[in-house]
Amino acid sequence: MYRKLFYTLNALMLAAFIVAAIVDYRKEWREYQGRYYRLMAADLEGKARQSADPEQTKRLRDQARQLRGTPLQIRQIIAKDLGRVDRCITCHVGMDEFLNPSLTTDLKEHPFTGHPDVSGIIRSHPLQKFGCTVCHAGQGLATELEAAHGYAENWEKPLGLGPLLQSSCVKCHGNLDTLRGAEVVAKGKKLFDDHGCIGCHQIRGVGGVISVDLGNIADKPLERIAPYNFSLIKTADGKPLPRRDWKLPAWIEAHMTNDTIEFVPNDPFAKYNKEPIAPSGMPDFRGEITPEGAKAITAFLLSQTEEEKIPIRYYVPGPPKTEPKFAGAAAHGKYVFDKHGCSGCHGLGGAQGRRNYNAMGPGQADPRTDMDKGREPALTDTVGTFTRDELRAKIQAGVPSSQIAKFNPDGPTPPLYMPAWKDKIKGVELEDLITYLLSIAKQQEDF
Amino acid sequence: MPETTQGPRAPSGFNLPDFPAVKKSVIDSQIWRSIFRGGIWKDTPRDRAAHVIGNVWLHLHPVRVRPRALEWTYTWGLGGISFLLYLILTVTGVLLMFYYRPTVELAYRDMKDLEFAVTLGTFMRNAHRWAAQAMVVFVILHMVRVFLTGSYKKPREFNWGVGVLLLTLTLFLSFTGYLLPWDQLAIWAVTVGTNMAGATPLLGNEGPFGSLLGMRINNDVRFTLLGGTIVGENTLVRFYVLHCVAVPLLVGALLILHFWRIRKDSFSAAPRDPNEEKVEVWPHLVVREYIAAAACTLAIMVWSIWMNAPLEVEANPNVTPNPSKAPWYFLGLQELLVYFDPWIAGVALPGLIIVGLMAIPYLDTNPKGIGFYSWKDRAFANTQFLLGVAMWFILIYIGYYCRGPNFAWFWPWESWLTQQPPPPPTWNVFGPKGDAVLPTWLGVLALGGGGVLAIVGPKLVQRDLSGKPLCLGFAGLMALVAIGAHFIGHLAWLQGFWLVMFSVLYFYFGFVLPQRHIRSLEWPRYVITMFFVVGMMSVLLKMGARLGFDIKYVFTLPAFNLNI
Repeated sequence: MYRKLFYTLNALMLAAFIVAAIVDYRKEWREYQGRYYRLMAADLEGKARQSADPEQTKRLRDQARQLRGTPLQIRQIIAKDLGRVDRCITCHVGMDEFLNPSLTTDLKEHPFTGHPDVSGIIRSHPLQKFGCTVCHAGQGLATELEAAHGYAENWEKPLGLGPLLQSSCVKCHGNLDTLRGAEVVAKGKKLFDDHGCIGCHQIRGVGGVISVDLGNIADKPLERIAPYNFSLIKTADGKPLPRRDWKLPAWIEAHMTNDTIEFVPNDPFAKYNKEPIAPSGMPDFRGEITPEGAKAITAFLLSQTEEEKIPIRYYVPGPPKTEPKFAGAAAHGKYVFDKHGCSGCHGLGGAQGRRNYNAMGPGQADPRTDMDKGREPALTDTVGTFTRDELRAKIQAGVPSSQIAKFNPDGPTPPLYMPAWKDKIKGVELEDLITYLLSIAKQQEDF
Repeated sequence: MPETTQGPRAPSGFNLPDFPAVKKSVIDSQIWRSIFRGGIWKDTPRDRAAHVIGNVWLHLHPVRVRPRALEWTYTWGLGGISFLLYLILTVTGVLLMFYYRPTVELAYRDMKDLEFAVTLGTFMRNAHRWAAQAMVVFVILHMVRVFLTGSYKKPREFNWGVGVLLLTLTLFLSFTGYLLPWDQLAIWAVTVGTNMAGATPLLGNEGPFGSLLGMRINNDVRFTLLGGTIVGENTLVRFYVLHCVAVPLLVGALLILHFWRIRKDSFSAAPRDPNEEKVEVWPHLVVREYIAAAACTLAIMVWSIWMNAPLEVEANPNVTPNPSKAPWYFLGLQELLVYFDPWIAGVALPGLIIVGLMAIPYLDTNPKGIGFYSWKDRAFANTQFLLGVAMWFILIYIGYYCRGPNFAWFWPWESWLTQQPPPPPTWNVFGPKGDAVLPTWLGVLALGGGGVLAIVGPKLVQRDLSGKPLCLGFAGLMALVAIGAHFIGHLAWLQGFWLVMFSVLYFYFGFVLPQRHIRSLEWPRYVITMFFVVGMMSVLLKMGARLGFDIKYVFTLPAFNLNI
């Protein structure tokens, strides 16, 4: 019996090793790369048949034979300055500059197409210097589809698809507004400024400190986002966000395509904590920002990184920004109002206060269900009741949370408050801002 | 006419070689003779003995062993399989070392290269990972087998101690290897593990009396282990050297000692018949060893093809996963952190476990039941030992499957995506006013008196007690207490159940069994044995107190950082 076992086990061990070797050999990329060579060779042979010149026919045939004989191997770009090793060209063989210097192919089949923008971006960003992932993200070292495109569970930054790709431009290029090819990011930046996001989210020291600093939001580790919150996000068709997309781009976008109260509910009734905790203070922007706008803002925010180590000589500042000119003090005041994101809380043009959970607001009745009807003050209604000096003092000192009246006394502290702006808005800016505010106040009726 | 007797001939012009003659000339050649000692193989007993004695690898075996030693159901091949796994780990480990650089920038990248670019890289890493997990399991199982067959008793006490050291080193090897992939799993598991070292009494900056020796965060034993105050570059290099060089060498040295002592102390298997003949190791034992090794290697290979070793996001010292868990074999200790302060859970208890295991052969002087499985002759030893092993694995199970975010209790079928209400507030029993319900002096009296009574008690009752009625009676009494407390006090039914269950468990294992089996032991051995028994049962009681009654500390002295 032991003799039989001896032979059987030896045979099985050998078989297991062979299976392991086969499994290891049959990697996805071999299939892709082999298919590329076959398709290209067939393409060349077709051309050879059509060619009238026997010299050329022979040359094309030789090239085709050479292609068919090319050994399959992992191909990679080592972008030394950027510290990246990108193996994308192992499958996207048409974009290997050594094999295919023109970077264009006649093949329509993915992943063998050439680079879509050879004459523009590639000319100024040679692949041998930049590699792929510094712009496209994803996992350069990987040689399997899901992993390489960054959807593996242990990779945080998936491929930047569509407009999200443009966020990479901003890593090096200053002055978005004039940068060709970065229109979506520029639009996102404009929306970000117009809707007063910076009033709560500061970026590199500019703006309010009520919520998360977005200056390095693109580096936010997924571990910092509770899976519980991801599970509550809804896609455009109302379905839960698929597990595969539980990554940063979807998280950022959801803040503008979902109501944050729904996916960051926190603990307003103190069910899980000693003190009640208000839901996310982020207002519901769905009425103001379209899904495309949300995508643009996401693209802009994904450019906000400090992790990426890019050599200093790679930076392109772009033409200097022209300082805007203003017709008068009120016009300058409006500029200051937008620059510091006042509309983030007080609404566009200060016309309508945004949601502040459990603050006082119109139409509140039931203390348990109507906490979300709390509102920030609409400046057009309130500034008229202040004198110029009072307004100045108010802007400088701000309104701390403790001074904001709660609608439900047992409920959480309202998440939004007015920061003290005395260090950030001063001098002419402050005076002109006050002038602007007084100019938008609704006229008080005289009795 | 020799040609006619030789059967069918090959076609003319081609003659089959004369195999026996070729074989003889090969074996008689100078090259063969210089490599393999001994003459021509005649399969005589002398040949077989010479084969074992004359071979450097085989001669760790004796020449002949008892027939029982060959039985699968005696050894289950566990020790041999543990050693085989050590060999597999050495081979795969050396192969992995060719591709691995222990620096913060490169370690994780090299993991990716192993996965995506190195031929058979994934297979090698899987085999190394799974063999390491299997080795921990098999070493523990081997220890259980040796215990159950009484193989640690005289004259093998010392080798049992060597075995306990090898078990500890196996865990340490696995633990140091855990850090090397440099992913989130790695640094946080190691952070949890090494933080316990910071709680070592006297030598750790957070341990009791640590400040007396001037321990700070940057000069204590944890600092020595980490080469810094957090898990970082220095830790990686230290763990790399420990994992690849220092500990394997130490384990190798101890393994040689372990094997040599097995041979010198003679293998434990008892004779079935006093006059039985021993059987030859070659081929009987060697072939069985080979079969076990081959089957095990095959299993590791299939496992490695089938399942990939985990690799999480690259390590980030600024982001702590929630929950952070230690490697599974240390999860029992991490679970104990719920019930005890770190210096108890992470240092004192593991220390006591190791010392207690090593002390077993010197405490258990029962001469019966050596070399075979016997329950009747060794009821006390087997029960207490298996209880300890079971507790270890139950704790691991709880830590692995029942602990979710914030290390809160989640049943295995509960989703971690739900929020949990906060745990109920805890309270302390004995301690200074304001910190606890009952005064300190009463605690000293109760715990001290109770401890002494628990240790001495069983020996004071020097007569045969009938176990079943005694246990049933005690259970009935506790049930009455629980029912009474439910109606008089405000004890919930579930708490009543816990009360009855844990007190009956204690009563049976901590009183009835010792009273029946070791009351005649002489005092020193008796007291030491009971110290470990009562210690183990106290851990169980404290778990019950915490889970059932929300008691944080039974006894607390905040001034001395002494909390039990």
